[in-house]
Order: sequence, then structure tokens, then C-alpha cells
Amino acid sequence: MASASAVMARALSDGDDRLVAADEPIAGLQQRCGGEIPGTIAVPALLEAVRKSRRYEMKLARALGAQDGESAITAWVEISPREDGEMGCEIVLYNWQTSPLPAEAGGHQDDLPATIDRDLAELVARLDGEQRILAVEAEATDLQALAHSMRSGTGQVWTDFVAIEGGSHVYPMHWRLIDGARVEVVGSTRHWQAHLYPHAMPGGQPAGFDLCLTSDDAPALEPVAAPQGENPVATPGLIGRDIAPVLRQPISRIIANAETIRTRLAGPLAEEYANYAADIAVAGQHLLALLDDLADLEVVEADDFATAPDRIDLADVARRAAGILGVRARERGIVIDAPRLGEKLPAIAEFRRVLQILLNLLGNAIRYTPGNSQVWIRLEGEGSRARIIIADQGPGLSEPQQAIVFEKFERLGRTGDGGSGLGLYISRRLARAMGGELSVESAPGQGARFILELPADLLAPA
Amino acid sequence: MILANPSATPGDRVEAILQQDLAHADSMLGTIAPILRHLLVNDDHTVFGDEIIARVRGMSADIARQLMARMLTVNKDEIPASMAEQVDALTLAIVGNATFLCHIHALALEAQLNDRLQARLALDPILPPLLQALVSSNDPVTSGMAMKLLASQARFCQSQRRMQLPLSELPGDLLHGCLVVMRTVAGVDEASQTQAAAAETVIRGEFNEAKSRLGLISRLVTGMGGGAVAALSIIHAGPAIFLSALALASGQSRDVAVLATNESQVSRFALSLRAAGLKPQAIDEQFLAFHPNIALPDGFERLTADRAAAILVGSGGYCGP
Repeated sequence: MASASAVMARALSDGDDRLVAADEPIAGLQQRCGGEIPGTIAVPALLEAVRKSRRYEMKLARALGAQDGESAITAWVEISPREDGEMGCEIVLYNWQTSPLPAEAGGHQDDLPATIDRDLAELVARLDGEQRILAVEAEATDLQALAHSMRSGTGQVWTDFVAIEGGSHVYPMHWRLIDGARVEVVGSTRHWQAHLYPHAMPGGQPAGFDLCLTSDDAPALEPVAAPQGENPVATPGLIGRDIAPVLRQPISRIIANAETIRTRLAGPLAEEYANYAADIAVAGQHLLALLDDLADLEVVEADDFATAPDRIDLADVARRAAGILGVRARERGIVIDAPRLGEKLPAIAEFRRVLQILLNLLGNAIRYTPGNSQVWIRLEGEGSRARIIIADQGPGLSEPQQAIVFEKFERLGRTGDGGSGLGLYISRRLARAMGGELSVESAPGQGARFILELPADLLAPA
Repeated sequence: MILANPSATPGDRVEAILQQDLAHADSMLGTIAPILRHLLVNDDHTVFGDEIIARVRGMSADIARQLMARMLTVNKDEIPASMAEQVDALTLAIVGNATFLCHIHALALEAQLNDRLQARLALDPILPPLLQALVSSNDPVTSGMAMKLLASQARFCQSQRRMQLPLSELPGDLLHGCLVVMRTVAGVDEASQTQAAAAETVIRGEFNEAKSRLGLISRLVTGMGGGAVAALSIIHAGPAIFLSALALASGQSRDVAVLATNESQVSRFALSLRAAGLKPQAIDEQFLAFHPNIALPDGFERLTADRAAAILVGSGGYCGP
């Protein structure tokens, strides 16, 4: 019991060192490092250790160091060859800790992020030591107006030409204070960030700067011709685009710090305080999940929401979903009966949206089903429709509950388990957007059958 | 050994053998001067002292004896005397791996450091204050692990006295290397190969890096997170934990970290401590413990941790990664 409580996450790899099942935070790290599940392990240090353990047929243990672009991560991993007869390894992770990456020192021209920034900048201006414009170069069409007015204003301070967000200061400010500021550009609907790269002069003020404007939004492929009588700027989603990205990092940090306190990594602590920290971590995770749901909600409720249908195999999606949640299910003693290898059910839908729906349905099944039971995933093809059914042995839903379970923020009276009441609503919206339907059949005490129906791919080779 | 040409006259053969032998002798003569010079210059006897050489030889031979015993499925002290030559050959083949040799050497230096600091600072190599604190931790996982480390550290000190090293204490990579050597050195006949393969399977199955002394230390230090700075005080943490913490925090292998504490490596030591994030004053304290006669250069306090790490990465290093 004591040692089990220190286990943070488990994962399984196969004979080709691909991650086939993983708990958080391994799954998240894999994705942030550019990998998939199932997919080759994307964390280099972990891949090396797993490969060695599999080849040497030895139990290995390492302090793992990794970066996911936002934080530096350290953890202790123990890797042992699988004992269930399969090739590959079992990975057990302890002591997960994140710390912010060291800030890049300003003015270091050989720093990688700075180099990338400068290579990707869509407007580059050469400034003198007082931040006055000397020359301007821009390629994007929505920056031409700015470039033009800057060129005709040579000798003026660059901040006269753009609106700096939250800026009520007197410019020019010291370049370090303004470096990285968000700016608005007349004629462009995109969001811009300004970076100043000083031309170093040892021991003195910089002799000049390169001003780079970069944007996270891709440039419009062609100039957008605004339809007559309509507002050309789509109402931006408040949460999904503006709030979620800003909140995600501080909340992650709250969770990480609470975990640090809970696991008493920084020193001994009374039991009740560790429990409070656990509550903080759980609340933070709930908040994070809610944020994701709200961001999704905005996307699916937008008028112009459309999916990108593709020819997919529902059996494959189902197996992947079962693989991703396999570890969590096992922890609760639940067996997921996924379609066998070789089973196929071609359909027309967007792969990641179907996976999102299945993860939601399976996650619900695992969460609300009593331990030591089974969850079945069944496939049915019938003419032009393809059906995927997720059935559990849970308490089931009464008729009135079935009528409202797909409604927004509907929790069926449950509280405090981390749900937002948005999952099924979003899933149904997604299913309908793909020309399908999500419905439920159930009776109290009989378990629930959630049925996802999608257009079949009739042209698929049998 | 050269193959005698059967058609050659006996005179030719003698000449060829003598020539070959002379060539060997020449190359040996060539190495006398540099080795002798090195031994004379390094008069502190801390890196190549008789004691260190004896420890390295003892541990390597012990590893070879264990492998041989596993192949013969007997106890280590029951290896028949007739096998002595094979054990020697196995020892020779094992130390052919430079990384292995460096690791054993580092362990010998660590044992020597234990003795030195115990004599000078009355530092307990087995149960330093940090380990005491961890043993009495409220968290059963931490205290359990600390107890295991305590036992393992005591075993290490004891086996160092006997100049021995259990197979289970080797890092996974090095054990793998030894097993490959064992397979190669085992006789070519089918029986020997089967014996070697069987022994290998058992050794691989039994091995668990997480339970080795170095594995336990790394796990404890990793688990301390930001508190790992506490492990960077030699007085508080004792040599074993200090060296692992220094290696982890400065991004170097533990073997390099061990060597860095040698008097000939004070710059590396200072840079490693800085790269590990220690403040200049704390570095002064470590120097006082390790090298009471050496002061840090003026201006060292202005060197940032990042720069120190960058300088270290730029250095040639030792025995590969």
C-alpha cells in the first residue's frame, strides 16, 4: 500500500518501443513532445531507457529529464520487461516534478528561440539606439500598410505606428520593458508580438535594434473580401481563444505545486496539510478540464463550426481509445472489451473528433461503473450507417434522465467528481456536425448503451 | 603468436619469433616514460595510488569471479583452482571496456574519499545527517527507501574493504557489457555456450537497477525535488548522496562527479557546484570541507550557473557520456 501510493503513473510499451497505453502525466508529456498514443515514445531519454530495458531484458531505473516546451520535467522511472507475455516494457513513474524553463537572457543573439523568432518574423525593422526607424521590410499583405507608413516616417520612434496593448506609458520605454509586448496593427486582424533584438555594444547602450513582429496566427491565404453588410471580423470566442491559453499555465503550476506539497517533496508536513494540498490539486485538475470543455463548447457552438471528414476505421479508433484509457480502467478493475484486431468498420468522419467522443463515452463508463465489471465496445454496420456502441454495467439511466442527459451542464444530480456536465453535450454536437447522431438506451439497473451513429464508408474495400 | 611457416627453416622461425617479441617489447618501452612521468608528477597518490590500483584490480577480478561462478553454477569461492586462468582472461576482457574501468575507478575513489573525510571531519559515510532525517520521515515510502539505502550503503562500505563489488550493484549498461564479454569469452563448444546463456538469462532476470545503491540514491535525490540542494552539502549529505546529487544537478555522470572532487580537478569541482545552482558562499563551504588549502579565484561569484554549465559541457569529459 505504501509503495503503491507513491506510484504516479504507469505506461506500457510494445516490441517496437511504441507507447500503447499511458496514464497522465506520461500521456500528456508524450503528446507535448510531439508523439501519439499509440506511437513511438517521443521523450528521448525515456525512449533510450525503454529500448535498453527491452534489449537487455533487465529492470532499469533512471532519473528522467525532459522538456515539454513549457517546463523542465524531472521524474524517476523504473522500467521492466513486460511479464504478460507481450513484447515491450512496463514503465512506472514516480516523483514527477516540473519547474519553469530558465528564462532566456535578453539580448543573447545566439539563443535558439530568438533565432526562430527572427527567422519567422513577418515584419523586420532596423532601429537606431533610440528605437527610431531606419529601414523596414515586410512581406505579409496585411502588414503592407504599416510598412508603408513606417517607411514614410523614417526617423520617428516605432511605437508611434502601432498600438501597444495595455500601453498608457510614455514611449520610447527602455527596450527590455517593451520587448515581447503584444501590439495591434492597423489593417491586420491578427495578433502581433513585438521583439527587440539589440545590437550589442559591450559595456554601453545598444547601438541599434532589430524590431521583429511575429504572430501566432497564420496569414490569410488571400485578402478577405468582406461580404456586403456583414461585420468582417468574426466574433472571437472569449474563453477558447483568449482565456484558456492564459489560464492553463498558472493552473498547471498550481497543480504541480500542490502535488509537490502533497507528496512532501520539500520536506515533512502534517498529514492534514498534505490532504489539503491533494484537494487543491484535484480542484485544479477539475478547473483545467472545465476550461478544456468550455473551449470545446465554444468551438462546437460557433456558427461556422465544421468537421473535416475523412475515411476512417471505427474499429481502429475504438482500439486506440481503449488503449489510452486502459490503464485507468485496470486501476478500477474494469475490463474494456474492445474490437479485436482485424475487425473493421469503415466510416466517413473526422478521426480526432470521433476519438474525442469515444474517450468521453469510455471515460464516463469507467467513472460511473462499479469496479470489477466490464465495458463493451461493439461495432455494427447497417447499410449506409455505421454504429459504435459503448455498453457498461453501471446503474443505468431512467427515462427522464435519458431525456436530459445530453443537455448542457446536465450533471444528473452528481457533484464533486470533477465532471463539468459538458462532455455528452459536446459529443452530441460533434456527432451531429459529422452527419451522425449520439443517443442512449438504458433502463435503471440494466447499464447504459451509448450509440454513436456515423455515415458508413460504402466505397471502402471490404 | 605467429603461425610458423612449415616450409621455413628452423633459423627463419626463430628469427621471426624474436622479431615479433621485440616489437612487443618496443611498444612497452615506449610507454614507460609517460607512465612513469605521470606517476611521479601525481605524487599525491590519490588517482593512481597503489591503494586505488589494488581496489580497481580487486573489484574487476571479483566481477569476473562472480560471472564465472554463475556459469559453473557454484559459489564464488568454490571455483576450481584449475579455472584460475579462465578467470584471469575474463577479468582482462572486462577491463577492456573503458567505461567499466572508469566506473570501478570512481568507486575506488569514492571509498577513498569516505575514509579521508571520516578521518578529517568525522563524517559518517553510512548514516550522514540527511539520511537520518530521511529515515525518520513521516512518509513511509521515503523512510522505507532511506532504510534500504542505509543497508545498501553499509554493504557497499563493507565490500569496498574487501575490494569486492556485487554484480547487482553495476549500472545496467555496464552489466550488459560484462554479460556480452562473458558470452564471448566462454568456450566455443556447445556446452559452454549453453552454460553461459543460462547464466546470462538468470543474471538479467535478477537484476533490478532501482534496488542498487546508486539507483536508491538517485531516486531519493530525484524525489527531493527543489530540496535536493540540501544534498549538495557534503557535511549534511555524506559523500555517497552528495556525489549523486552533484552529478544529477550539474548534468554530468556520477563517475565524473567523483573525479571532480580530486585535488587535480578543483576547477571542474567549482564549476560543477556552480552549475548545480549552489550559491558562492555554499561553494566556499564545500571547498573548505574538500580542499581546505585552496581558495576560489576572485570574481568567481560573478559566474552564473548557466555559464558554468556551458563551460562544463564544452570540456572534453571522461570516458564518454
